[in-house]
Amino acid sequence: MKIAILSGKGGTGKTTLSVNLFSFLDQVTLIDTDVEEPNSHLFIKGLDLIEESILKKYPVVNEYLCTNCGKCGDFCNFNAIIPAKKKVLVFQDLCHDCGGCQLVCEPGAITYEDKEMGKTYLQTLSEKKKFIYGNLNVGEVSGVKIIESLHKMTKNEELLLVDCPPGTSCSTVAAIEGADYCIICAEPTPFGISDMKMVVELLRAKNLNFGVVVNKYNLGNDDIYNYLDVENIRMLEKIEFNREFANLLAKGEILIDHSDYFKEKMANIARIVIGEVND
Amino acid sequence: MKIAISSNGNTEKSIVSDRFARAEYFIIYDHDALTFNAVVNPARNEGSGAGGKAVKILADLGVDVALVPELGPKALDALKAFEIKSYQYPREKNVREVLYMYFEKKLPDLLISTVKGHH
Repeated sequence: MKIAILSGKGGTGKTTLSVNLFSFLDQVTLIDTDVEEPNSHLFIKGLDLIEESILKKYPVVNEYLCTNCGKCGDFCNFNAIIPAKKKVLVFQDLCHDCGGCQLVCEPGAITYEDKEMGKTYLQTLSEKKKFIYGNLNVGEVSGVKIIESLHKMTKNEELLLVDCPPGTSCSTVAAIEGADYCIICAEPTPFGISDMKMVVELLRAKNLNFGVVVNKYNLGNDDIYNYLDVENIRMLEKIEFNREFANLLAKGEILIDHSDYFKEKMANIARIVIGEVND
Repeated sequence: MKIAISSNGNTEKSIVSDRFARAEYFIIYDHDALTFNAVVNPARNEGSGAGGKAVKILADLGVDVALVPELGPKALDALKAFEIKSYQYPREKNVREVLYMYFEKKLPDLLISTVKGHH
């Protein structure tokens, strides 16, 4: 069972929810797919990390075979390969590793070489608990390949939590791939609602089941409840904002270790979501 | 000889752009025909790699010299590969003014990138 936690807006509590659900559950694996700025690992204290390099391919042009026809440059949507006067320019960090330039190169002048684009870090906390996060190298254009690696590494998990990136772009789409249920972690502010609407649109387009956790419910306004009502979206739980939670999080603490209120919220969310999927 | 200038507007009296590859227009001055032509810059809205694309467009237009505000490393690599010379103009001038400065050899040659890549 794969459960994704996403939000649209940053800072609504995806990571808080992810690491606390992870701590609450007995047998579970968590992946942090926010590879541009992973944070979950800062809450999870455990054993050594096992690093693995994630490679991407970039084109290399054999100038003896190249006829300077220009087709590779016309094909590339990301300006990563540009045929110039005497040589073909390749900008490795712009390449999305799609393989297209090789397909359109009639003289067969293009081959690919590997380049490290980021890493994954695996941490085994116990026989029943495992955590993996990805980290994209600075300057790389897309973390999708690392997110796909995280999914491959966890494809046989009984219960998998996916801490997703903010936004609704390629990385988020890759992160929710194959999810049995998605939890939108929303805050009741104009910004939270605006960004959540984009997530709702994405999840409906992908035909995925989802519900909403309203985090920091005592801030902002009531617009979110009207929206959920009108759109007929299930509210899974409401979690209050208080200063004590903020203080604990600022120290990198897991909230359920300190708050029975928060622990009960995690229990409810887990029960509802696992129940929904099993129905 | 053709000279390209990054510009906010489409005439030789327009103010020069403070971005090279994301300028609204390139004004192409043809020194043989003594004409100005404005080209809407198709690279200005690229998600990534605007620098390389802009240079390719200039090369396709037969440009020999580019007058620019600043250059990232990719644009600079591309200018070298297309054998287009680049010179840096000061801000707030108009296209005609920076062109005069170029002919009076008052614009510095750009051999190293002035800004880091933007992505």
